[in-house]
Amino acid sequence: MPISVTQLNIDEALRYMGCPPEKADPATRELAEHCAAELLPVLRPRWAYRVFQISQERAGVRLDCGLLLPGDDLKAHLEGCTQAVLFCATLGAGTDALIRRTECLDMSRALALDCCASAAVEGVCDQIEGELSGKFPGCFFPFRYSPGYGDLPVSLQNQLLDLLDAPRRVGLTASSSHILLPRKSVTAVLGVSRRELPSRVRSCLSCPARENCQYRKSGGHCGIS
Amino acid sequence: MEFRELLGRPGPILLDGGLGTMLQARGLTMGEHPELAALEHPDWLLDIHRAYVEAGSQILCANTFGANREKLARMETAPAGVIGPSIALAKQAAAGRALVALDLGPVGQLLEPTGSLDFEAAVDIFKEEVSLAVQAGADLVMVETMTDLQECRAALLAVKETCDLPVMVTMTYEERGRTFLGCDPASAALTLEGMGADAVGVNCSLGPREMAPLVRELINWTTLPIAIIPNAGLPDPGGAGYDITADEFAEAMADLTELGVKLYGGCCGTTPEYIAKLKAALSARTIREIPRRVPAAVCSGSCTVPIDRVRMIGERINPTGKKAMKEALRRGDVDYMLGQALAQTQAGADILDVNVGLPEIDEAAMMVRVVKALQGVTDAPLQLDSTVPEVLDRALRVYCGKAIVNSVNGDEESLETILPLVKKYGAAVVGLTLDRRGVPQSAEQRVEIARRILERALSYGIRREDVYIDCLTLTVSAEPEGAVQTLEAMAQVKAELGLKTVLGVSNISFGLPARPLVNQNFLTMALTRGLDLPILNPNAEPMMAAVRSYHLLMHVDQDAREFIAAYGNAPAPAVAVPAGAQPVQDLGQLVEAGLRGEAGPAARRLLETVPPMEVVDRVLIPALDRVGAAFEEGRVFLPQLIQAAGAAQAAFQVIREHMSGQPGQSDSKGTVVLATVKGDVHDIGKNIVKVLLENYGYTVADLGKDVDPAAVAQAVRTHRAPLVGLSALMTTTLKSMEETVALLHQEGLPCKTVVGGAVLTAEYARSIGADFYARDAKETVDVARQVIGESSPDTVS
Repeated sequence: MPISVTQLNIDEALRYMGCPPEKADPATRELAEHCAAELLPVLRPRWAYRVFQISQERAGVRLDCGLLLPGDDLKAHLEGCTQAVLFCATLGAGTDALIRRTECLDMSRALALDCCASAAVEGVCDQIEGELSGKFPGCFFPFRYSPGYGDLPVSLQNQLLDLLDAPRRVGLTASSSHILLPRKSVTAVLGVSRRELPSRVRSCLSCPARENCQYRKSGGHCGIS
Repeated sequence: MEFRELLGRPGPILLDGGLGTMLQARGLTMGEHPELAALEHPDWLLDIHRAYVEAGSQILCANTFGANREKLARMETAPAGVIGPSIALAKQAAAGRALVALDLGPVGQLLEPTGSLDFEAAVDIFKEEVSLAVQAGADLVMVETMTDLQECRAALLAVKETCDLPVMVTMTYEERGRTFLGCDPASAALTLEGMGADAVGVNCSLGPREMAPLVRELINWTTLPIAIIPNAGLPDPGGAGYDITADEFAEAMADLTELGVKLYGGCCGTTPEYIAKLKAALSARTIREIPRRVPAAVCSGSCTVPIDRVRMIGERINPTGKKAMKEALRRGDVDYMLGQALAQTQAGADILDVNVGLPEIDEAAMMVRVVKALQGVTDAPLQLDSTVPEVLDRALRVYCGKAIVNSVNGDEESLETILPLVKKYGAAVVGLTLDRRGVPQSAEQRVEIARRILERALSYGIRREDVYIDCLTLTVSAEPEGAVQTLEAMAQVKAELGLKTVLGVSNISFGLPARPLVNQNFLTMALTRGLDLPILNPNAEPMMAAVRSYHLLMHVDQDAREFIAAYGNAPAPAVAVPAGAQPVQDLGQLVEAGLRGEAGPAARRLLETVPPMEVVDRVLIPALDRVGAAFEEGRVFLPQLIQAAGAAQAAFQVIREHMSGQPGQSDSKGTVVLATVKGDVHDIGKNIVKVLLENYGYTVADLGKDVDPAAVAQAVRTHRAPLVGLSALMTTTLKSMEETVALLHQEGLPCKTVVGGAVLTAEYARSIGADFYARDAKETVDVARQVIGESSPDTVS
């Protein structure tokens, strides 16, 4: 099930660029569209996943391999779920290289490429969710949840990547300060419930950056941790 | 029997199969660490190793794939506790019937430039593993499952600098024939053979049926034995297993004997059954001997450039005679050099010469910085240009690929200091036909020196194909016979020694009028006499035209495709573009509109009548302010703000050029030190801030990303900077920001701090003792104005 990205959500990219889509002037929209076209052939989306039985504990959510995902927020988020799919996705190192190169030439293009790549990684995650939900017919899924959301610590990244054998299988690693590299990458937990879940929307309410967030200012959200 | 002896015998060498998947089959659970199996499940490991020996494996990989200090620290242990026992178990199982290899897998963190792990730190991590393996009695080292050629180099250097054990290096490729990090088999083979690997190859990620194209590529670029260690087919993304059986595996692998593969093994999903069947299948085949000859070529970590046609070496990254480059070197402005690099590759340069020698700077440190930065933005192979052995040593160490060393000469001291470096790092080398007595007059004497250089290079084990000779261009106005002798010497080097030739061509016309004309014609003459590697300015169209014409006329450019692509839709290059055709527009408006291409010429026109600082203060800054105000009001957005800054930058460039050479006139309002803090690699926000600050007339000392607190303090002292800007994107790296601010306070440096980044708040900024919080790039400029002011202080150099 290789994931391919054939088009990008330009409005989303514009929002990441700090520019509300409805207010974008034609030149800015064109910039985003050009950069999307430049980015698409460079994208090498890859992903890996694993399914776990989960149990709720006092300190968080326990995967059946033994790993505890600590904190109250994910625990509340996965209430009613009996399984969880852990997955990771990356656009590959070529995307980083393109952005790096462009930064030397034209900062506004680099910004637009960076934001297009953020939109692309979200698009990849959406596709993965679609793919995964097909594996659990009749089930319900709260939105995907990543380290860094709420009180789920980003220091989990290395352990999550180890569980997915991600460095070897998709070339995704985390630095000693838990930054995912290549940069345009995501790890996430997707809960699986047999019962219908109360509707939960992705929310900035528990985000520590909400007061100063550029994305919120432009009427969007960051989408990633 | 030793590994090298085994390689020398006819017939295939059988390696072992998967270890991790076998441990899982024995009951290792997903939460357990396979790295610790020697301690926690020694019986399982012993059984698995023994089963491979029974199946016919001649080499066992010890269970040390992830036994490096970075990974083991997460399991609260260290290599010293793991590597000895793992190798001991493999040796016990082998019982003299198989050799035992230290298995060196990736560290698990990406190296610069994609990641933040420093090259030398990686070398050190591998050295610890290798030393322990030597103590434990390993017979060889297998570097495997690598995706980054730079990490392979670190591992290979670690082995070479620790012991003399043989070493085999395999990388893991995707179906498109590249690793996750973009390395191709050609670049891997050239680089690793150059650095002294004993065998190279492919492992993991794909199945045996996908191996043939990779092997075909490898055998074009190395004479080393090839090792192929695929998975049991292609993996399921959910981790459910692999898709081919032991019989299918064995048959597909046995077909590789036709391509001359020497070492056969299995990776993930393969078992002793796969190896036993592989042995049986191989016994029915004979390895086909395919004669291999590797052509002259250089490479970066992801691009190989064979010297099979004229290849242009860009000369622009060199301070000689270039004022702007000298200034960039003095202020440590690596971005300037990156811009020069990209301009040259876009114009058609195949290889870039890098020379950063200036008496007043630390050449070795600058060379390392520039080489690392260049590798982050260009695929072009580099020619490392210095006369100082230490500079070349340090540059070669961090250069990922097969570089060209520029240069050695016929002088004994030069030969014996430079050639060992060329050999150690597997580079190619330029030999200058001069010695202690200078440049000989006659062609014959120059050829004699070339011959001496070649002989010495061969005696160090450097391949003939890796020696390029420079017969030296002398200025024809001073040496009327010079061009004739140079061309004659080059033709002889080509005919008699069969070596590739390199020549800097632009010097020929020094002191003459119509220099482009002389240069272009000299280049054409040199090409017809056998010049392979002209060193030139690729932005000079007449030079490119000469090379394109040569390729067309010599039928190198098949069907004239390249020539037509270059000139089919354009006016002939000799026709001058009419100047001053565009309407004159107000510079301020151009900046507001973000029209970078037009802002420079407009500034130039304005400078004819208006003093430079007035252009800055009355035109540029107010225009940027108008854009800034519109940004704050939400009428324009970040991309437009940056475009305006880019246009202003073009204007500033013109003003700076105009003012340089006018003493007492400083165009800088003061220096701001910028850094993305230690541990953090998200620096695009910081880079946007840099562009804006520069365009408000501040000098920016940009320390880059992942910057140590001490380096920030040092830069503040060096530049006497009144303001430091720090960025962090992750909650985990805010701690480094706090430490950096604390260090600046502790050292009592008289600078203010401004901090920013996605997760920061004004409140947090206050709590760590920062003086200012800036929400965006525009606010950082406001802070700079408040701290440094508007006028140009004379205290800043």
